Order: sequence, then C-alpha cells, then structure tokens
Amino acid sequence: MQENKDEFLNSEKEMSKLVVDSLKKYKMPVNALFTKMSDITQKSAGGLLKWSHSNSLWPLQFGLACCAMELMDFGASRIDAERKGYLLFRGTPRQCDVMIVAGWVTKSMVPRIKRLYEQMASPKYVIAYGECATAGGPWYESYNIIKGIDQVLPVDVYVAGCPPKPENLFAALMKLQKKVGGKTDGDNERSLSENMRRAEAGRL
Amino acid sequence: MSYMRINIGPIHPSTHGVLRLVVDLDGDTVKNVEPHIGFLHRGVEKLMETRMYMQNPSYTEKLDYVAPMGWDELYVNSVEMALNSKVKEDAQYARMILLEFQRIASHLLWLGTFCNDVGQMFTMFMWAFRERAKVLKLLEDVSGSRMFYVNMRIGGLMRQLPQDFIARAYALTDYLESHIKEYPDVLDANGIFIERTKGIGKLSKEDAINWGVSGPVLRASGIEKDVRKDNPYYFYGKTKFNIPTSMQGDAYARYRVRYLEMLESISIIRQALGMMPENPDVAGLPIKLIGPQAKPDIIINRRELPRGEGLIYMVPDKQKPYRIYLRSPTYTNLQVLPYISKEVKLADLFSILGSLDIVMAEIDK
Repeated sequence: MQENKDEFLNSEKEMSKLVVDSLKKYKMPVNALFTKMSDITQKSAGGLLKWSHSNSLWPLQFGLACCAMELMDFGASRIDAERKGYLLFRGTPRQCDVMIVAGWVTKSMVPRIKRLYEQMASPKYVIAYGECATAGGPWYESYNIIKGIDQVLPVDVYVAGCPPKPENLFAALMKLQKKVGGKTDGDNERSLSENMRRAEAGRL
Repeated sequence: MSYMRINIGPIHPSTHGVLRLVVDLDGDTVKNVEPHIGFLHRGVEKLMETRMYMQNPSYTEKLDYVAPMGWDELYVNSVEMALNSKVKEDAQYARMILLEFQRIASHLLWLGTFCNDVGQMFTMFMWAFRERAKVLKLLEDVSGSRMFYVNMRIGGLMRQLPQDFIARAYALTDYLESHIKEYPDVLDANGIFIERTKGIGKLSKEDAINWGVSGPVLRASGIEKDVRKDNPYYFYGKTKFNIPTSMQGDAYARYRVRYLEMLESISIIRQALGMMPENPDVAGLPIKLIGPQAKPDIIINRRELPRGEGLIYMVPDKQKPYRIYLRSPTYTNLQVLPYISKEVKLADLFSILGSLDIVMAEIDK
C-alpha cells in the first residue's frame, strides 16, 4: 500500500516535472496550457453530445400545404427515412428538435408557428422546405402570404423546389446533421486556443 | 347545461391540412362542431386575374395538391373553350388516361391516411404509398415533375408521350389491379376498421342533396351522379364503366365507393389505351407571351374531380381572365361535418372528417 502511494507521488512529481520542462522547451505560459487542455476535454465531451444530437433529429409533425404530401412520402416505403434516425414524427413540439416548415405561411398562421417554435426545447433547428417557405414562391404577390419563414424564425437549411423531392429533404437533413455535428464546410467554429493563438500572433 | 369547449388544430395530426375545429363536448360526446377555415387563404382567384392564360395552370394545380392534374386540365380546357380551339383526338385519350391515373393516386393517398385516422396504423399507409409511388413515377416520366405537372397545353399535352408509354401503362394497370384487390383482406376482414367506420357519420339521401355535396360522398349516399356519365367530356361517352354507389351513406360506404372507383378507373384506362393509336400525336401549342385572342363569352366548365364536382366560371378578356370563380367540391363537402357529427364520440369525429376527404388549399383558395 505504502509502495503504491510512493509510486503515485513519484509519478505525479515526474508529470509535473515533465510539464514544467515542456513549458520551458516550448516557452508556453501556464494559463495557455490549461486553456488548451480544457479545449481538448470540451471537444471530446461536446463531440459526444453533438454526435448523439445529430443522429436523433426528431422532426415535428407539422405540415402546412402541398409540401406536406412529400413529407408523407418521405416517411413512406420508397424513401424510408427511419433508417437514418430522422423519422420519429412527434405530435408535440416539446419532444422535437427539427421543425420542417412545409408550405406557404399565411399571416394568420405566423403567431401559431412562432408559438410552436417557442415550445420546442433547445437546441432546435428549422428547415424551410420548398419555395413558399423559402421566399414566398408563386404567392409572392399575394396580400396574405409572408415572403419566407426566415422573416419569423431563424432558418438552418433551405430546400429549393416546388415541391422538392423527398430525396432533397433527405439531403437537407444530412446537411443539418453535419451542422449539428459541428462539421460545416467553410464556416468552422474557432476553438478557444485557436483564438488565443491568433491574438498572440497579432501581438507579435 | 354547459359543455366543455375544446380547440382542435390548426396543426393537429388528425386534421388533413390546417383546419381548426372548435368542439363542444358533453363527456365524450360531441354536441357541436364549428370548423374554422382560412389558414391557407392566399387569394388565388384574384392572383389569376393578373396573369396571362397559360401562366395560370401552376396556380390551379396548387388548389388540390393531392390530385393536381384534375384542376390543371379543367382550367386549360376552359381556356380552350374561350379560345375556341379543339383538342387533338390522341391527346383526348392521353388526357383521359392521365386523369384516371391521377384519380387512382389520389384515392390511394386518401386510403392510406384514412386508415391512419381510424387506427389501422401504417400497414395500409405503406401499401398505398407503394402503389402511389409507381403511379407518380409514370406521371413523372410523362411530364417531368413528380407532383405539379403543368402538363396541359392548348390543344394537347406539353410534349409527346414516352415511346414505351402504352406498354408501361398496361403493365401498371395489371400491377395496380393485383395489389388493390389485396386491400379488402386487411380492411374488410379487420374488426377495428369495421367498428370504426360502419354506421359512423350517416348522411341520408335527402340531406346529401340539400347540402349540395358531390363526388364519392354524394354517391355513397345512394345518388348515381357523375359528370363523366351525365355530361361526358372527351371519350368518356364511348367507354363503358359503372358508377359505384352505396345506400348506407356512412364512412364505410365512402371507403367502399372510393375503392370501387379505383377499379373502375383501371378499366377506363385499359379501354382508352386500347382505343388510342399506336404512335399518338399529343403535343399541344407551346406557351407564348402573347397567344391567340379569346372571344368574350362567359365560360362555365365542370369536371368530375377525384373529390367531387369542380366548376370554373370564367369571364375571359383577350389575353387573360377578366374574372374567374372556382367552385371547389371539398368546400361544400366540409359544410356537412357539423351536421353529421352531432352526438358521436370524439374519436369518431376524425373518421368522419377523414371519410369526407378534404383538402384545405382548395377550401381556403
């Protein structure tokens, strides 16, 4: 028992010595090392969370107009979206992650959609499915249609088409999966140490 | 005595489209239903007055998004009447075939969702969508789009039919017939389905006439009325088909009428395919910015759409409609709902609503 304790203390001393040596070698300040270490743990823990989020995106059962027909087909035998974990259409917004706005949005529908969105638990995502939800579509000149759901809600993925094929929705959800998993092309989130490195480079 | 008033919708899973129902309940018994409509209103009749004639089919198609080709054809035929132009004979056959395929696809979608409503979960839905995907694939190869075809042009179709169209259509009718005939095994032999549809939402013959319902809802109440028979357009007069009717007038009768209509449509398609020449010439006029001028006569045109009798009343101007009125069949069919769902259980309200087969975009316009 005593030996083990000694060994443990020795190894701790060795570790601290190693750290100090490496600090001397690379001329890195102590706080920078700690931020780097916290970055690593955050990345591994956050990565797990993001991975699990991205693989169980539950959409809200919520169809407005024509595009809802293609939503039905999305869940039916030809596409079978369940194999990717997308298809657990829920009747209540409190259990959902994704809101697929499928169809044109009238002025009388806006407060209801807003309320549904607010009832969803965070993190939550919105997909604008089809021309009408993206930019008003053929009803652009109508007095009762808002020109795109992005005037009301923050939209993550737009799907073009009138109506888009169910395959397009599949692609959109895969894109959203990438975004939730933190792997968007071009718009990578900067890590804390990366910010620090940039700041230091600027100072030097 | 006071009733409990609950609000159902506008985004309830059981409502087909964004319909809001305000229901007065006494325990579990429905005392009064009040449908609130207008959540999809976009002023389509007014928008159509601002467009040229052949820009409008994409508006009319979005009226009934379950069976878009019906309204598409009705509108384009009204324009043809206004322009006084004739439809090519081969194109008339092709239109009949496509419309009947569209009717089958529409009824299949209705059957799948209706079975979800009454608790026959997902088996029928998957089966119906399997067949519907096959029909939509054929229509996609004809028109280039899966759902909104915009396939009709003045005097014919957008382009020639695919080369193997006739053989494929025959094969598809065989496929559909063999699969549709399997459906009663899981529906008529299913106790839950029978319990939830038989005797539910009865509409008598007199009431059906007084409320002005049309289509399968009217025929399920025992009235043999079909525009294809009474006022035949294209070659419906030449083809032999029955009008399925039922005397019961309940939700089961409406299912039965629609089911038999699918089989009748298959027989119409086969007859039309037999009458159509081998290499049909179906292409119509291409869309031009300034087309031929219309004569200023009032046009009234009606068709048997999958959901009932659709009517267009149009006052034509030279290059665009001056005023247009669309009579949607589901609007009148929905009016019956408060009348026939008095004193039923709340759960049966949705089998009644499902059996009426409403499409909200057509109601709100």
